[in-house]
Amino acid sequence: MKPADSNGRVKGGADAVLTASGLGVGFFPEGKARLEVVGEVDLCLRPGRTTALVGESGCGKSITAASLGGLLPRGMALDRGEIRWAAGAECRPGRGLAYVFQDPGECLDPVFTIGSQIREVLPKEERGGAGERMSALLRTVGFEDPARVLASYPHQLSGGMQQRAMLALALAGRPRVLVADEPTTALDVTVQAKILRLLAELQRQENLAVLLITHNLGVVAEIADEVHVMYAGRVVESGPVELLRNPRHPYVKGLLKALPRLDGADSRLEGIEGSVPPLGRRPAGCRFHPRCPLARAVCQEREPEMRRRGEEGAVACWACGEGGWA
Amino acid sequence: MSGPLMNVEDLRVAYRAGRRKVEAVKGVSFEVGRGKCLGVVGESGSGKSSLARAVLGLEAEVSGRVEFDGQDVLSLKRAGRLAFRRRAQMVFQDPIGSLNPRMKAGAALAEVLRVHGLAKTRAEAAAQAAHWLETVGMDAAYAGRFPHELSGGQRQRVNLARALCVGAEFLVADEPVSALDVSVQAQILNLLKSLQENRGITWMLIGHDLAVMRHMADDVIVMKAGEVVERGPAADVLSRPAHPYTRELLASAPNVARALERRSRRGTV
Repeated sequence: MKPADSNGRVKGGADAVLTASGLGVGFFPEGKARLEVVGEVDLCLRPGRTTALVGESGCGKSITAASLGGLLPRGMALDRGEIRWAAGAECRPGRGLAYVFQDPGECLDPVFTIGSQIREVLPKEERGGAGERMSALLRTVGFEDPARVLASYPHQLSGGMQQRAMLALALAGRPRVLVADEPTTALDVTVQAKILRLLAELQRQENLAVLLITHNLGVVAEIADEVHVMYAGRVVESGPVELLRNPRHPYVKGLLKALPRLDGADSRLEGIEGSVPPLGRRPAGCRFHPRCPLARAVCQEREPEMRRRGEEGAVACWACGEGGWA
Repeated sequence: MSGPLMNVEDLRVAYRAGRRKVEAVKGVSFEVGRGKCLGVVGESGSGKSSLARAVLGLEAEVSGRVEFDGQDVLSLKRAGRLAFRRRAQMVFQDPIGSLNPRMKAGAALAEVLRVHGLAKTRAEAAAQAAHWLETVGMDAAYAGRFPHELSGGQRQRVNLARALCVGAEFLVADEPVSALDVSVQAQILNLLKSLQENRGITWMLIGHDLAVMRHMADDVIVMKAGEVVERGPAADVLSRPAHPYTRELLASAPNVARALERRSRRGTV
């Protein structure tokens, strides 16, 4: 028999819980035409796997994540592509899909105790034996003294503890997919390391499909299994996380070269010239071409599609595909 | 002139909350050599920002000694303080929060120039502002832009120009790149480094990113709960840390190469 998680679901299934294909989000400014925020995003979230969406601000990673659970801001709509859930998955918000955000202090209600906030999201049938279930949840996220935490108000907890409480809150609805949007960005590095370890542990124990949104390539390398790198609303390169060792796309290469190194073997950093184009001023053709050292005429005219490279993933670039010049 | 530019001895910074007194910096000593960059590493609550503000005379309850070019900073009178402010300036983390949203970039520089009496006429101020924008790698035409019309990196460049335009030789930068995206961060770090090399600017860099520190700093001090737990050349401290806290910081910093290697050894990639 296969091992099962604490909810009795069988582990190790390779089948996706959630598949998104050709996802596109539009922004509709009053009286103007649709602007594309995100387009052509394919995602496949599997139980017990962590998929990372990584990119700089404005690349559309958070919007993609928000679109999965119907949390798009006003004026935006998910109007392209489709999302499919595995049979039997309950896909109501807070049940099939749960979120953890960057700033736990903002997400927790300051006037209620942690206990009453968790109780609120427990499924109806569990409200009876709530105390036990809540204690178990808090133990799962690493609290050794659940009773005290349940009776605490958010301001009585540190940032790291607040983020653990948020994780408990997210797990209360027994989700299949956990979306973690910059879950450690507001935390100190030592606390960040602990929360990342916890996230990896939960993913394994609870057989969760985790979608990790981050700008930090180091965090991706620490816990992700698959990675999608986004730029200006498109995925430009995706594949297993080892692709960060030897990326193909010039943007991903540039990002890695822009990071200062801990061994200090760099006197000058090679940044990427220019900056990310804002929404509405994204260039035609390949969106990276104005900043790309490899750009040629074709890059200005036609947008490259994601092309698979066998097991190694896929890349959207004219220069590094078949018949390319890099 | 010889000797270090900044010399700090047994600096203490305290805050009062009602009758309670909390010491944020508990007796810190260090010096910053001319044209050098001192990195101050620590997590939130370590007292690193209080320290940064105190050495510029921006904190109220300070004891100890802060000497800038042989001059006692903490006992400066009005005129002396203005002269000190021209030579020692601060750059903050949040590039938009530290610019007046209703003031164009050029006007923000011109104001500082006029306050310090460095430009007599409007035209003179504008010409100098244009010069300083170019110094930090921006086209002079950006003088006519409001902060919201600039990108994060450009705003941080304007902040740098504003600090430099009064003739600053000592800059304290509190997390100057942590609000920026990676690709822009690299551009700004390169700019900071070239200002140090070409203009002999002396830096005190406050931050939590050890890789940035390794890249920028000559010497570092590591702070925890108001005290210095380790100090030394950046190359030594950040490659062979002696104190357990520095080791923990180093082990916690997410790092692409190290993480991939560790995982491939464990076979989880």
